[in-house]
Amino acid sequence: MELLIRQTLNKLALPEVSFADVRVTRTDEEGIYFMNGFLRNYGSSMDSTAIGIRVLIGGCWGFAGSRDLSGAAIDRLVQTAVSNARQGANFIRGKVEFPALPGIRAEYHHQPQIDPFKMPKEEKTEFLRQLAEAIKPAGKIVHSMVSAQFMRQTKYYANSEGTYSHTSYYNTLPMMEVIASDGGQIQSRTWPGHMSAGRGGFELFTQQKFAENTDRIMKEAIDLLDAPTITDDRADIIINSGHLALQLHESVGHATEADRIFGMEISYAGKTFIKPEMLGSFQYGSPLVNIYSDSTDPKGLGYHPVDDEGVPGQKVDIIKDGILVNQQTSRQIAQLLGLQPSSNMKASYADDFPLVRMTNFCLAPGQGSLEELIASTEHGYLLDFTKTWSIDDNRNNFQFTTEIGYRIEGGKITGIVKEPTYFGITKDFWNSCDAVCGPEEWGYHSTFHCGKGEPGQVMQLSHGVAPARFKNINVSVKI
Amino acid sequence: MDQLEYLKSVLDQHPELQYSISQRHWSTDFLRFYHSETNYNISKDNITLAAELYKGKKSFSFAIENPERGRTDAAVRDALEVIDKLPEDPDFVDLENDLTLAEPRAVKNNIEAIPLELKTRILANVSAAAAMYDFDIFGTFICNHQTLRLINSNGLDKSSVSSPIYLEVKAVHNKSQVTVLETFGGEDFDFFNEQAFTEDLVQKILYCANPVVDVEPGQYDVVLAPRCLAEFTQYLAYGMSARALDQHSSWFEGKLDEQVFPAHISIVDDPSDPRMIRADYGSDGHIYRRLPLVEKGVFRAFLCNNYFAHKTGLPKNGNTASCLKIEPGDKTLEEMIGGIKRGLYISSLHYMNFINPRETSLTGLTRDGTFLIENGRVTKVVNNLRFTERIERILNNVVELEDHCATVPFSGNYASFEIETVKAPHARVKDFNVTSSTKTI
Repeated sequence: MELLIRQTLNKLALPEVSFADVRVTRTDEEGIYFMNGFLRNYGSSMDSTAIGIRVLIGGCWGFAGSRDLSGAAIDRLVQTAVSNARQGANFIRGKVEFPALPGIRAEYHHQPQIDPFKMPKEEKTEFLRQLAEAIKPAGKIVHSMVSAQFMRQTKYYANSEGTYSHTSYYNTLPMMEVIASDGGQIQSRTWPGHMSAGRGGFELFTQQKFAENTDRIMKEAIDLLDAPTITDDRADIIINSGHLALQLHESVGHATEADRIFGMEISYAGKTFIKPEMLGSFQYGSPLVNIYSDSTDPKGLGYHPVDDEGVPGQKVDIIKDGILVNQQTSRQIAQLLGLQPSSNMKASYADDFPLVRMTNFCLAPGQGSLEELIASTEHGYLLDFTKTWSIDDNRNNFQFTTEIGYRIEGGKITGIVKEPTYFGITKDFWNSCDAVCGPEEWGYHSTFHCGKGEPGQVMQLSHGVAPARFKNINVSVKI
Repeated sequence: MDQLEYLKSVLDQHPELQYSISQRHWSTDFLRFYHSETNYNISKDNITLAAELYKGKKSFSFAIENPERGRTDAAVRDALEVIDKLPEDPDFVDLENDLTLAEPRAVKNNIEAIPLELKTRILANVSAAAAMYDFDIFGTFICNHQTLRLINSNGLDKSSVSSPIYLEVKAVHNKSQVTVLETFGGEDFDFFNEQAFTEDLVQKILYCANPVVDVEPGQYDVVLAPRCLAEFTQYLAYGMSARALDQHSSWFEGKLDEQVFPAHISIVDDPSDPRMIRADYGSDGHIYRRLPLVEKGVFRAFLCNNYFAHKTGLPKNGNTASCLKIEPGDKTLEEMIGGIKRGLYISSLHYMNFINPRETSLTGLTRDGTFLIENGRVTKVVNNLRFTERIERILNNVVELEDHCATVPFSGNYASFEIETVKAPHARVKDFNVTSSTKTI
């Protein structure tokens, strides 16, 4: 494959091409879906190859991608990418430019504990069937599902600066959900929540204690039918890790993707309230808030030795002691902002155009356990398991609903509330953070489904978080 | 023999199997622009062979990108090896058996018909018009082309071609960041009128000369632009699916043939409108016909494919709400705005998500131009707002509809890049529930 990529790069060695890169991915994917106790779908897509060719000509990007790696197809893609750049250069005002980087070679090959692609299919379905049977509709449980998605991707990348990398990894997305009904309303509970993916294989089902939590989600879904809603206007809330990962993702992660500063995502994903002059001075959060982008940790889905435009993996502070200090950038945008590129350019498959993307985007741990944090809360709610999320065009106004809230009185959990909903303004919210739990509570929570870009791409990425508390948050939205 | 024919010939050697197989050839030419210049030009294509195999009530499916015989043989071998070992789906009865063919229609390949040179020329003209008011343009100009052939073991053999166009231009003021939106979508570029498109955009830009203000949360009389009514209706259509009904998450459960909205609300799924992106067949291959969903406020039909028809006993139609039309009313936009003492004009919506689909409750935001209406006139630009509402309540609060519809394109945003259109008029809605301000444009 290295030879094919190098030959393709050689075809792009034209005087007018100031930068070029070529990526190839080979992807295996499998999905298993049980509905109401029965296998509804078992699907696979194996050995799916893709190639993407990106060139910079006259200060304008051109790109062509395909799932066809034949010689004729590659010749056509080379011509198309070059033509797209040349033609696009007729409608530009400034030229894309960035400093060269030294070429490097990188290899990384991950192996899961239990390779889902080697595990017999009937063994996987039997494991999931037992879970599905355990949460099969009965009584007030009217619907249930158990699903698994497995992905194995090998990627080859090379650019005109001499960089070459070859990586492979396994990611898995396990999930189960029940819906309870009393004939009128419905309430749902998932396990292990919205960000349940991880780097690994079938072992995630045991690591995430699926079998141990079937009874819990059924009981909680039924109990929620009769649970009260929050009556307070404002309250202290503790956000547990699974949901905090999404809060971090939406209100800090996307907000600090610097392509949004320059309007590159206005047409779909949106802008950001952040302006270049805020770097180094903007009080994004309380001094307890330390947030970083880390593509050097292989435990997260965002690990890479080299990103999709040849920048070596990096750990970069984004918010230090509450102050905004950096951004997630591409080489082009880093140059515009006077920063070093942060190794955040990623494409889902090789035939996708790389974009500024979160990798492992993390809230650094503080101190203490969740139990201690609850014990130190006089009146409030522990919120967990994302139900609804929404944030504005500038990543400034968010509103979240979780599946369940646990009422805290006098440092103890005293009951549950249904559909707890809170909203806020990003800066005010993160400045209200008065506690982040310690390393013993910290872990990665990951997703397969971060949408961005046009044509749309879904990215797999991780958030490292520990539960945190936020003071005096607006919980007054009544539906 | 193409790969689909080859796969059919392989599967026909196994009479114990039922199968539904398809081959899709999809390509896109995609220009993304920002600050009135090219961001990137993308060309992509792929060929996907997909198969869903059944042996009795046991099933296995696979997809092959860029298929060739060796990989097809391997996938079939793999499927045959495992299918007996899988658990059954007792709700599976049979594959689609509607063999009706759609009327043939000519579909231009818009990737060829609208070359990049033409796209950049149009954008240069539009950006020049916006620049006169210190606005830059941002957006996308997309042409897709897809051929699809679907075959199943019940004798179904259907082909379709589509070639949607999507032009989205957001004009953003270089200082205030106030944004307005103009779009074109469809399959026939002859309907695109560059002058009218530019004039409509400039008209919206002129609204932005007004000062920017914030408004308090509360209930407002609003005029929803066609895009907003269209998007709310798309979300509402989730609950019209037999799948949602089966999951007990449909607001329409128990409401068939009941009056659910005012008599001036009619919604139809109509694949035949030449100004829209049309559909010949549903995903199972069932012919796609005009399907009234709400007639004069009465709920008439669930969207129901072959599987859920067998499971729920509902009549099968194969519709997927891909060609929604909300019937117009009898007011002009000027009359609708003119009747509001203090309210809002909302151009577009952003990041909606259901809170509880059975209740149709959701939250979302306004985007790309929210304006204050005072004494029957648009007077100010308003910061983007958050609403928390129930869609059924919004439709029940529609008091007036415009006397004609606009075609509104929507692009799919996850992986498979589908483009759909909805036709909708402006709607005047009372008591729209604004729950907070974003404090930003």
